[in-house]
Amino acid sequence: MAVTAPRRLAGHGLSVGLLPQWEARIYRRTVGAVPAATPASAPAPAPAKRSAQPYGAGWPGEQSHPILHLANFPLPAARGDYGTGAVERMGPEHIFLALLEFGADCLGTALYAPTGLPRLTPGQFNPNGMQRRVAGQAGYQHFFTEAGRPFCLYVVIGSHRQAVPLTKQVNAVLEQIEVAR
Amino acid sequence: MMALLVVETVILAVLCVLVGGLLRGYASVLRRLHQLDGGAAGGPAAGPPPFRTAPGVIEPVADIADPVTGQRIEGRDEWAAAHDIEGVSLRGEIVSVRTLGVPHDTVLAFLSASCEGCAGFWHELAEGGWTAPPGSRLLVVTKSAEAESPSVLSQLCPPEVDLVLSSQAWTDYSVPGSPYLVVTDGRTGRVKGEGSGVSFSQIGGLIQQSIADSRHPALAHRPDADRRRERDIDRILLGAGIGPNDPSLYGAAERDEH
Repeated sequence: MAVTAPRRLAGHGLSVGLLPQWEARIYRRTVGAVPAATPASAPAPAPAKRSAQPYGAGWPGEQSHPILHLANFPLPAARGDYGTGAVERMGPEHIFLALLEFGADCLGTALYAPTGLPRLTPGQFNPNGMQRRVAGQAGYQHFFTEAGRPFCLYVVIGSHRQAVPLTKQVNAVLEQIEVAR
Repeated sequence: MMALLVVETVILAVLCVLVGGLLRGYASVLRRLHQLDGGAAGGPAAGPPPFRTAPGVIEPVADIADPVTGQRIEGRDEWAAAHDIEGVSLRGEIVSVRTLGVPHDTVLAFLSASCEGCAGFWHELAEGGWTAPPGSRLLVVTKSAEAESPSVLSQLCPPEVDLVLSSQAWTDYSVPGSPYLVVTDGRTGRVKGEGSGVSFSQIGGLIQQSIADSRHPALAHRPDADRRRERDIDRILLGAGIGPNDPSLYGAAERDEH
């Protein structure tokens, strides 16, 4: 059987080939967005019960940068940049991966000195590496520079016990990520 | 004494030959039954023999394989193929949503901001009064931004509800108009139900029933051969213009009852 290249999703200078069962979202948070007025021809909107941007409303003067989210489970619409709202839904076989770009002022600093997207080993995952601990899960965070852009890679695996097979999947997905200059 | 020993030995030998022949006969009967039940001669079972029909009768169509398990799923060839969805979210995200090769069903709600008939759906979404059945995922799909009003959609659709603007998805699923709901089976990559209505509550029961039926133990544990034969017979009868409750299916007494 012929092997076809995975479908690619691209935007904001980031591109990723989507392996089976994986889905992705690339975005740049809108800072200080104000909802537009409703046209007269449109049906009356239902009363809003919740905030328009539960995660990611930002703050005045904030600079937003591209973010790539990848997961092998359905990503919810409302998520934090580091996966809040998504990691709580993960099962033991699931993986959440976030690639977050930072401002150019970070370039050349010691934190971002490593170059290139890393490849991970199972031992690098740690339950204390999570933004917020979730039972059974483990996380990994790494700062680096790729194509002259400073990034943070944040990965959560659904089961620390399954770190070996899950890390293989993580590395397969990392192979598919391309960063444009 | 010696003669008795010789006679007994001969009788024992004859009995051994008879028992051996009997066992061989049984083995050949079992082998033949195994072949009739779809097993390959001298090898492991290779599925049931093909269903044959008389000349002029519509041939049953082959099943398709489950992309997740690799097993063949009956009847799925009748359903339209599902498609993964790519588009943009109301937050401006570039989105790829999987509906194929995933272990869950997806309820796709094709809605529009300017559609009168969609008001009931938007209202229920805003109220949070309807959620997709357990093990399935709800995705609202509108046409792309050039054919929609993203600002109105932002007010109609709560941020917790996944909404993708994608005219391509409307084309892929041949959506005749809004509101329109499509339920896809992630394991088989096929559409398992579609139609229109006035609200999620109205058609939610049908969606729930469709998803629950496909997981019901009574269906899951029925012998494959039974389900396959039943499906093939239904298809052939329908192909010959004989539908459910057709009078020709019943005897005279049963016809009177019907």
